[in-house]
Amino acid sequence: MVSRGALLRLREQVDLTERGKELLKLKRDHLAAETNRLLSKVNSRKVFEQRLMETYNVIKDAYVSLGYSGLQSEAFTTTGLKVKTLTRSVIGVTVPEIALEQEARVNSVVDASAYTAANKLSPLIKELLSIAEAEARIERIAQELMLTSRRVNALEKAVLPEMHRAMRYIEAKLDDETLEEFFRAKRVKAAIGGHTH
Amino acid sequence: MPLPNVQSLLKTKDSKEVVDALTKTSYGTDIAPLPTQGIDAELLEGVVLRKLQERFYFVSRVAQGKMRELLSRYCARLEVDNIKKIVRTKHGGHSFEKPILIPIPREQSLVNFEALLEAKDIDEVVSLLRDTPYSLSETLQSYKESGISLILERNLDGVYFGRVWELASKIRGVRELVGEEIDLRNILFAFLLRTRIFSQKELEEMYAIPHPYHSIMQSTLHSLVQTRLEDIPNVVTPRYSDLASEAVKLVKGDSPTPLEWLFLKRLYRDAGVTARMDPLQAGFVIAYLLMCECEAKNLVSIVTGKQLGLAEEEIASGVFTV
Repeated sequence: MVSRGALLRLREQVDLTERGKELLKLKRDHLAAETNRLLSKVNSRKVFEQRLMETYNVIKDAYVSLGYSGLQSEAFTTTGLKVKTLTRSVIGVTVPEIALEQEARVNSVVDASAYTAANKLSPLIKELLSIAEAEARIERIAQELMLTSRRVNALEKAVLPEMHRAMRYIEAKLDDETLEEFFRAKRVKAAIGGHTH
Repeated sequence: MPLPNVQSLLKTKDSKEVVDALTKTSYGTDIAPLPTQGIDAELLEGVVLRKLQERFYFVSRVAQGKMRELLSRYCARLEVDNIKKIVRTKHGGHSFEKPILIPIPREQSLVNFEALLEAKDIDEVVSLLRDTPYSLSETLQSYKESGISLILERNLDGVYFGRVWELASKIRGVRELVGEEIDLRNILFAFLLRTRIFSQKELEEMYAIPHPYHSIMQSTLHSLVQTRLEDIPNVVTPRYSDLASEAVKLVKGDSPTPLEWLFLKRLYRDAGVTARMDPLQAGFVIAYLLMCECEAKNLVSIVTGKQLGLAEEEIASGVFTV
């Protein structure tokens, strides 16, 4: 409906949408920054995997030295690694947080080859948890980033232009009506003026 | 049936070839009932340990008199190994997982392993062992304060070797081998303590366990832990100086060769010499049992290494050739 009221409401809507767009842009920028920060952690996975493969070779040596049952028995002496998973909100995105509550204690491992393997593996587990946390976070944040980018694009390229077009149409229509009203009033005035003379 | 040849087993391509080679040896009757598909290192290890147990207890059954008593106590090392495995499982809180034990017939064991496996925790294990020679009650408190299962294992070693030494010390030929094993285990233990971080109190708890010594005195053990690494070969008796030097090199060089391998190699080498020197002596029997143990360890290393796809040289470095 073409009316001043409609134009006013539309102006308010455009204003709100513009503000919403700016907020989403801000969110997008922060999500992008967080993704970049996590990328460096995720990229360290290659180096980590190399170190893990080296440690697997040490574990293989322990297997050869002790046999399956022997190494299993040595592994049982390690007191359990305790890990807690929590959820956090990062810029409105729910992400996991992995907290290491208790590191594995390997002092009771008797055999030297098993102890070497346990000692090399223990710090790697900590790093593994850190990389796993980074990977899970980056997955969720990247998804949210994609959604947010789409929304910003939709607002910038579709919704707001459409709203502006609608505003211009209503303004034009109102201008036409105003002009028509003016000429009508002029004709009426002219008609009234003609009668009196 | 012939005994397995370690060198030819090392040259096999994979675990399947190892199985084929073993079926033509004295292990053939034990391997035959296994399914052809899916034989893995774990199954083969079970076969090897069963054979080891049969040989050990056969020897103790056919002996007579004091020798029978000695061998019965000596063969209990398999029992002690099993108890250690159970202690480790309960210590780590892995009550839902069962360790792989060496199968020992009930009539030859002083311990009820089924009850031990069902125990909830270390307290229950200790209480079940109270009426056996392997009572751990004295060291339970120290274990609880430190949280180190090594303390309990050291106690078990002390009891085992104490019982064996009580009889072995009186028999020429046997005394030397058993004494040497006690010495080697003590020196190895001292090196082990050096590579870990223990508090002074924890160290003292492990030394406080009564332990029979052959030629290594307790004061020497204290010195081995506290002295500089380079000075250790001078602290031990000259008999073990060269071994201690090699161990120091291993520790400093971060070599993949485990320390235990070095000490066991010495023990099995000397057992091999004893076995060849005089087969009519009592020491020959102990040497034979040690050789059986050596063979079992070699076979376990080879089958595990082949399953993991390791090269011949890598597996050979963990095998004992005597």
